[in-house]
Amino acid sequence: MSYLDPYTVFTIILVIILIVYMFMETKRKPARIEYVTRELLVCYSCGFQVERDHEPGDFIGLVKGKCPRCGGDLKIKGIYSVDKSKILKAS
Amino acid sequence: MNSDTISLITQIIWLAIFILLITGLNQKIQMRIWAMDIRNKLNIIKRIIDEDRMRVEKIISNLGYKTPAVLVDRVLDFFVIEPVGIEPTDIIKRLDHTLRTGEGTLRRFIENSLPNVGKFERSLVETSMEILSGLNLIYKVIRHYLLTGERENNWILLMQLELVMPTIMKYVETYHMALDPFTTGKPIGDSLGPLVVYNLVEKSKMLSKRVVDDTSIIEAWLEDRRVLFIKAEGPGSNVGHPGAVINSLVEELKGSVDLIITVDAALKLEGEDTGSIAEGVGAAIGDPGPEKIAIERAATKYNIPLRAIVVKMDYREALTVMRKEIFESSLKAMEHVLRLIREETKPNSTVIVAGIGNTIGVPL
Repeated sequence: MSYLDPYTVFTIILVIILIVYMFMETKRKPARIEYVTRELLVCYSCGFQVERDHEPGDFIGLVKGKCPRCGGDLKIKGIYSVDKSKILKAS
Repeated sequence: MNSDTISLITQIIWLAIFILLITGLNQKIQMRIWAMDIRNKLNIIKRIIDEDRMRVEKIISNLGYKTPAVLVDRVLDFFVIEPVGIEPTDIIKRLDHTLRTGEGTLRRFIENSLPNVGKFERSLVETSMEILSGLNLIYKVIRHYLLTGERENNWILLMQLELVMPTIMKYVETYHMALDPFTTGKPIGDSLGPLVVYNLVEKSKMLSKRVVDDTSIIEAWLEDRRVLFIKAEGPGSNVGHPGAVINSLVEELKGSVDLIITVDAALKLEGEDTGSIAEGVGAAIGDPGPEKIAIERAATKYNIPLRAIVVKMDYREALTVMRKEIFESSLKAMEHVLRLIREETKPNSTVIVAGIGNTIGVPL
């Protein structure tokens, strides 16, 4: 039975490491952040603020419901996208 | 494995490498690999275009147009030829004329096809088709270079294309993502300027409002100053003509304007934070030229200080739904504008504040 000499073993290991490294490099993709659209509702009478999910048809300046604190109008101040994972962590 | 076998294998490998190098076959193999990769990416772009096209056609048919494919086909290959650049005389006028003709023609295509649809919906269709047209152009240009490179065995062309493909794919993805706000009417990052103006109007005592050239002029009283707010007429997808409007407004007021402030979104450099605010001098507007020069000319003619406030963001953030960081910065930018007005002018002065950008999702 013939044994592999150290030079051959070293070369084979090096080739395997290179192949594995190249495979991992091609597979590696940057993490994709998922965004959801939210809207900020503000009561201009008492300053109450609440953030909710955006609903189709909503636009900035739209009066959407009453303020739970003072009964004033709740107006959409901003519509923006937020990292979904941050909302899940916050809720 | 004895040493003779190893030696033989090594010799064969070296011989193979030598033959590849001498005959140039290695380059051919490399070229094939590049072409294959580019073709795969091209197929991804094609799939994105098909998906977006279906989406746009569905929107158009929901608005009551029976043959959306005909309209999409007509707009998809629509082009605007740049005016002659080697003769600088009147270039701005010629460029302005060409751009306005292009804008008007596209608008008329859609108006004629969707006569019973409101301005807001029409503007969304218009921009959605422009996005589709942009994607289609990218696809056709890449396909052209790929086929040319393959036909002429031009490995340098293919190599350049291969190296630039990741950047192109990012642009394609951004355009694809931009279709969401432009089909649903949500504000985008570029809506920052109009949003700042909207919030400032909310804070001030509004005196009058008129619309000129798709651009709103709102006269208001703020911080004991007469402020003329300029923004594209919203909430549709519209950038208006703020430069031309500022120019005519300054002429109308015979130059009695004490300060002009432009607020806009600016592309950040890598490493800069999204939403960071910077202050400067000049006209903050990213148009091809006519609007910017109109502001500069008006300010220079009457020696009016021209100040600018920009909020930094990247290309993707500018074209997709406004990020929360950018929204928060819009509130800070508003405070910057107020501070500038207080610092640079005296009570009873006249100030022009222009919110530059696409006003989608922002009313007034």
